[in-house]
Amino acid sequence: MVDSKTTVLHEWHEENGANMALFGNYDMPLWYKTGAKAEHLAVIQSAGIFDTSHMAAVSVKGAGARTVLQRCLSKDLDSCLGKGKPLVDGRCVYGIFLKEDGTVIDDAIVYQLQAESFMVVVNAAMGGEIGEHLSKNGGDDAVVIEDLTDRVGKMDIQGPQAGRILKKIIKDPDSLFEKLIYFSFKGGFDDCVSSTTVELKDGTPVLVSRTGYTGEFGFELFVAIDKLLPLWKQLLAAGSDEGLLACGLAARDSLRAGAVLPLSHQDVGAWPFLHNPWQFALAWDEEHNAFTKPFIGREVLVKKEWDKFTLPFAGFDPRKIAAGDTASVLSPEGETIGTILTCTTDMAIGRVDGEIISIAGTVPEGFVAKGLCCGFVLLDKNIEPGNQVVLTDGKRKIKVEIRADVRPNRSARNPVGTMVE
Amino acid sequence: MKELSELVFGKDVRYSDDHEWASASGETLKIGVSDYAQDQMGDIVYVELPEVGDTFAKGDEFGSLESVKAVSELFLPVGGEVVAINEALEDEPELINQDPYTNWIIEIKPSDASELEQLLTEDAYRELLKG
Repeated sequence: MVDSKTTVLHEWHEENGANMALFGNYDMPLWYKTGAKAEHLAVIQSAGIFDTSHMAAVSVKGAGARTVLQRCLSKDLDSCLGKGKPLVDGRCVYGIFLKEDGTVIDDAIVYQLQAESFMVVVNAAMGGEIGEHLSKNGGDDAVVIEDLTDRVGKMDIQGPQAGRILKKIIKDPDSLFEKLIYFSFKGGFDDCVSSTTVELKDGTPVLVSRTGYTGEFGFELFVAIDKLLPLWKQLLAAGSDEGLLACGLAARDSLRAGAVLPLSHQDVGAWPFLHNPWQFALAWDEEHNAFTKPFIGREVLVKKEWDKFTLPFAGFDPRKIAAGDTASVLSPEGETIGTILTCTTDMAIGRVDGEIISIAGTVPEGFVAKGLCCGFVLLDKNIEPGNQVVLTDGKRKIKVEIRADVRPNRSARNPVGTMVE
Repeated sequence: MKELSELVFGKDVRYSDDHEWASASGETLKIGVSDYAQDQMGDIVYVELPEVGDTFAKGDEFGSLESVKAVSELFLPVGGEVVAINEALEDEPELINQDPYTNWIIEIKPSDASELEQLLTEDAYRELLKG
């Protein structure tokens, strides 16, 4: 057995009563004393901070850096900001690293620090494998690839108050937040230097990325690993009057499922990356007919021989069926049509006359969000949103609805100006 | 997660190996889950209850608690007929997290009252939790 790893915030988690569990071979907090429900709701109504320093980063530098990434990433770096608009300094993009057979190695966010310097953020324990994959496909291009695992301190602050809380500890917040649109970033840390600089009030260099994994407004923050605990504590103090909570993996999972975001190696994994809600991660042309560039795995995707469909769903109450060996998806007629990938409860939503309502939006008088189960199923056939299927663990059965989207009124794309005043 | 020293134990209750408790109130028994159980589960978001009049043997599954983490089956520590269910839990399942002893789950009329005596005392249950 491989010994589990811990993050630099491990001691803090334990001191603060976290319920810990293994994730990606890291001993991580599931929730703190406040409980996962309060943590989930804090991110919808105020803000939450997450220890994401188990995630890995790979540095890709050199004259050939862009070429290598363009060869390996499912997204077209030459037109990912719109047709003919290439990735530029200070912008980042979500994509997938595929094998030749079209299956997923990992998903990633690629940051263009400078024209010949990129940071690739991948999932826990994936730094080595992605680093090797990029090296192997480097060809003759001049590129230096470095696995930054254990050197990057990463945490997220997410929720409508995230900007106002972060503002309190940043040296020059006006300059940071100016035009900091969704999927852009400023600053740098350690060897990950970009064309802009952002510092905390105490002088710590930080990279602030307008991204996240909750569907809500917020930021992913990167610092040198020894600066992470001080940053975590500064944000907690800055947010103490705003209802900021430290949040564990349970809230992260329920928030991201409600936002229809995939968990790598669970919702995307060892099957071709096709027929799923995340087509924005592929290099499709505007008509969605053809790919705009070659990339590893493309040939399998083009053939479209894979005939299974990953679909989001939401239930009618908080009840869920745990994904696992005995779990399956049935048609209303009782025929087995697939498996459950993720099933969790988004606790900020409920149904009124069948329609999903979030506490983040306008709610009818007397509305109490009891939560709805939601997640992803992998089915043998495509089912249009609005139709029902049945989840079962062999004993219990619950009806759920195939959905195009789950939690309404998400704040991730709100204009930054309105969120930091 | 609570340390053993932080766990709360009920007054006049006996425990099962599955972390349910039973407590006599006159002719009937109230049934719930222990502080250890609710702490392990995390926030409870849904309680599935049996119907009044349902009869179960000792060890039968009589309902389930859904937490943010998982679905946990509830096993009856003493066999009997359900005479009441705690309807407050349908609207506020989190009551179990707040106080797992005041907030009983079902009340039963035991078919064999001596089964209560076979359950673990607080001391024996503490030993079980020490592992």
